Amino acid sequence: MVRFENVSKEYPKTGFALRDVSFHVRRGEFAFVTGPSGAGKTTLVKLVTMEERPTRGTVRVSGFSSDRVRRRDIPMLRRRLGIVFQDFRLLRNRTAYENVAFTMEVTGAHPEEIDRTVPRTLATVGLGGKADHLPAELSGGEQQRVAIARALVNDPFLLLADEPTGNLDPRVSLDILRVCKDINLRGMAVLFVTHDRALLEHHPEARVLELDDGAIVRDTAADSAA
Amino acid sequence: MRYTAREAFFAFRRSPLLTGLSIVTIAFALYTLGVFGLVWLNIERVLEGAEERVEVVAYLRDDTTAEESGALMREVAAYPEVDSIRYVSREDALARVREEFQEYEELYEDLDTNPLPASLEIALEPGFRRSALVQDVAARISRFPFVEEVRFGEEWVRKLNFLQDMSLFLGLVMGGIFAFVAFVAIGATINLVVLAREDEFAIMKMVGATPGFIARPFVLEGFTKGVIGALVALALLVATFSVLERRVLTLEFYSPTEIAIGVALGGVLGSLASILSLRRHISRW
Repeated sequence: MVRFENVSKEYPKTGFALRDVSFHVRRGEFAFVTGPSGAGKTTLVKLVTMEERPTRGTVRVSGFSSDRVRRRDIPMLRRRLGIVFQDFRLLRNRTAYENVAFTMEVTGAHPEEIDRTVPRTLATVGLGGKADHLPAELSGGEQQRVAIARALVNDPFLLLADEPTGNLDPRVSLDILRVCKDINLRGMAVLFVTHDRALLEHHPEARVLELDDGAIVRDTAADSAA
Repeated sequence: MRYTAREAFFAFRRSPLLTGLSIVTIAFALYTLGVFGLVWLNIERVLEGAEERVEVVAYLRDDTTAEESGALMREVAAYPEVDSIRYVSREDALARVREEFQEYEELYEDLDTNPLPASLEIALEPGFRRSALVQDVAARISRFPFVEEVRFGEEWVRKLNFLQDMSLFLGLVMGGIFAFVAFVAIGATINLVVLAREDEFAIMKMVGATPGFIARPFVLEGFTKGVIGALVALALLVATFSVLERRVLTLEFYSPTEIAIGVALGGVLGSLASILSLRRHISRW
């Protein structure tokens, strides 16, 4: 699934963002990645999406390996990931429905398939009634739900959420966490990156990977990890 | 495909001025090329007509005997360049002049002696009608002692050839300059659009759109601009042509195939300009 093998990432100007990081997120697993800002969480996300390549070590995501993947294969990798950001990144001039449909369009999905899949996915995140709303007409929590629907619509194997609650108040943050837990219960792996330690208490069964200064300082699954 | 078709005309709406400029410069590029191409084409037709008549005429001295001229004819007829050869006697020459210049008949009426020399009219094989080869044949014939003078239509053919080369050169250079401006205008349009939609492209990239998919609407748009530019150029050419034809002389216009090639060339130019200016951005997608 997602496997980091002794991964280090060094940036020319700022030095090491990750040092010798190893972990393995399995199919269907829910894992938090936490730590203070500057700990290397964002770098970790970029390595999973292969926006960055490691300086040392290997990142394996699904069938793709960072030391062998070709540039032109990376879009194929991204289609197998569902990515959610702190700032939602929705297209402002398009409705909730169109934002979700857009993801399918760019991957060349058939129009009929789009018409079938998008309403179902919006219903999954509890937005069935707001398909025609523009992002500006939706609350922050609703916008993030649209973003999650967009991430899910191509049926990825992993939902990669990068500080998805960073712009939301605590009550709405819990809503978003609940949506992610529901998705996980359906069998999809979730990598939930957050600096908000309070959230972890609301999903005590989840695995926690804690980063500090580029290194993993805690992995609650370390005992059972291979 | 739905996406490509829908997004292709984004720039038309976003920056009509720059889009218009792109189309106008492409039109100018093709129009310039078209005008000089027409010059080239029409000179070519004249030359083709002239080549049919390109022949070497060898005037014989008056004291040349029948045997000598017969031997010369056999020898020259054996040249590989020579298609046919015809002996024009002094009497034939006079008869021909009388027929061709009937208005001056009285000038020839009471001639005591025939002033015209006998000549050999040598027509060349189609492949040997270019000036250098004609000159070569003429030089060989002039070496025979009883050949007084050799003439061939060399000078004006060479001038026309030069004019033709010149129009091709000018057409390519000036057309090229306009094409370059068209490339710059199309590139500027693309930069503008890419800037305006950077967020959107980042999202597309994140959800797995290929660079080709993102680029496709731009290429379609460039192609469309090129074709429209070509059609504008064609309209201008037709207008120019009809004015010239009415005022000057019968000219030849492009064939339907050549017109189709010209329009396609516009499309290729527009697409190429888009692709070239996209390459810079695609490396970041």
